Amino acid sequence: MNDRSLSRIIAVQQWYYHEARLLDSRRFDLWLQLMDQRVHYRMPSRAYLQQGDAADFSTWSVEREIDVAGSLPLIDDDLDGLRQRVGRLQTGMAWAETPPSITRRLVTNVEILDEDPQGRLSVTSAILLSKVRSGERVIFTAERRDQLIPSDNGFRLLDRYVILDDVVLASGNLSVLF
Amino acid sequence: MSHSDYVAADAAWVSPEIFSDSVLYDLEQQRIFGRSWLLLGHVSQLPVPGAFLRTNMGEESVLVTRDRDGEIHAHLNACRHRGFQLCQQDRGVAHSFQCRYHGWVYASHGALLGVPGQATLYYNELDKPRWGLVPVARVDTYKGLIFGNFDPDAPPLSDFLGDMAWYLDIILDRRLGGTELLGPQRWRIAANWKIVAENHCGDEYHVGFAHGSNFPDLPGSMRAAPLPYAREIRPMLGHGVGVNIFPDEMTPEQLLATAGFPRPRHVTDYLLRVQDEIAERLGRQRSHMSIIHGAVWPNFGMVPIVNSLRVIHPKGVGEVEMWAYCLLDRDAPADVKQWLANQTTATFGPAGSFEQDDAGNWSAVTQSSRGAQGRRHPLNLQMGIGHEERSDKFPGELGLTASEINQRGFYL
Repeated sequence: MNDRSLSRIIAVQQWYYHEARLLDSRRFDLWLQLMDQRVHYRMPSRAYLQQGDAADFSTWSVEREIDVAGSLPLIDDDLDGLRQRVGRLQTGMAWAETPPSITRRLVTNVEILDEDPQGRLSVTSAILLSKVRSGERVIFTAERRDQLIPSDNGFRLLDRYVILDDVVLASGNLSVLF
Repeated sequence: MSHSDYVAADAAWVSPEIFSDSVLYDLEQQRIFGRSWLLLGHVSQLPVPGAFLRTNMGEESVLVTRDRDGEIHAHLNACRHRGFQLCQQDRGVAHSFQCRYHGWVYASHGALLGVPGQATLYYNELDKPRWGLVPVARVDTYKGLIFGNFDPDAPPLSDFLGDMAWYLDIILDRRLGGTELLGPQRWRIAANWKIVAENHCGDEYHVGFAHGSNFPDLPGSMRAAPLPYAREIRPMLGHGVGVNIFPDEMTPEQLLATAGFPRPRHVTDYLLRVQDEIAERLGRQRSHMSIIHGAVWPNFGMVPIVNSLRVIHPKGVGEVEMWAYCLLDRDAPADVKQWLANQTTATFGPAGSFEQDDAGNWSAVTQSSRGAQGRRHPLNLQMGIGHEERSDKFPGELGLTASEINQRGFYL
């Protein structure tokens, strides 16, 4: 790994830690400022489906199990959708997060998969999100596939695709951001 | 315990124990989920011969199939040899199913086709016709929806739905091309199935408070005010709906502006374009109505104002698995379907602006019902009692929005 790619991966990791800190400290207003105007934030639902050719690992892909024809995603937001999601929390009547849950986001396995000529990065990462509420803890784990655009303050999020490791959500609802 | 320990029809109360009593829960599995017509899916989910899906009836895993001749079947999803769950996938296409424990093979219409060692180990003496998959006794469809019933002596589906069918047509029979179903989104809620089902059946009262974050500008005094066009209607037999009944003189434009949430132009244009077809199919009265929420007894809930259908699968006395779908006109343009499905997800998906806040309420009710002290004190279902009305225009009994007319119909 040369100096440039090393400093780039560190910059991406630092940006993820910053993002996680904003969310864990409930600064959803500042988190929104990390979004690109064109942001698309999506979480597909997942199904138990037949695997591909058992003898050929290349057909065992996760993609087979998500966003299959006829399925409904769990979240499909543009910037307006994210603003409404965050704005609702400020009404004092969004009971699933009023008072707010205690959360901790651990972001690991950060890997830059591609960089286009304009500097847009395709990044995959793993997130472990712990949510404590009413004396109960829920743990989510997921892969995030992001498109990041370089900006003055690091990056802006252009696209996020959150692949939860759950097929049936164990959590009652999804009131937290990944 | 007897029935009168749990509910009082005249006084309109229920015991919290109905949400926590495991003996009652076992009886419900036999007497309610064993005898009622339960929603299995939609014909659009089985588009080709061989298509199958896996769902639940009560706590039973059920395999729903379309055979080579196009006929729809439902069987217990369990091999007859040792009871292993035969199909491990949510959906797919297959003309036969092989158990992965010992390899017995069944056709999609349920017949046992063959077993390993048929000649050598069973001496060709296995009575295969006797060991097909256990069929769900009755399977029928209503305008695209597939229902099953374990009870061979159950009344026909049309009798079971009764007057609820007149209301269901408002969402199922709008257009010649019928409907299609997307989903499900699935999530677990630590709640008894009945508090979830009753909420869909009749609880318009909670909307202004529990979902208040969606109406931040509504003054406190208006959060429980009767809505001008909305009524709770009890079609009897345990079913319930909340409907909008718009005045005859209201134009389609005004009607759309009043019903539901703001929509983009292309969606409004589509909904206006199909108004004549709807009026022709359903008549003037029902073309001037919309269903806000409802439930088909016992566990098929709906929020049609955002095209959401859901099945509340019981998973033990204190747990449910919600399966939420989006119901769309099959012949709507793709960009209209896309926007409507997104609206369903944004409001009543597990991360939706309404749905998020429901789970905690239902869990809290279930939690309270476990306390040795609290569970002895009844819960009040009295709103609007004695003020039910009849109308020759609408089948069933009418109450205001809000009224607990439908909760009384559900429990008592």
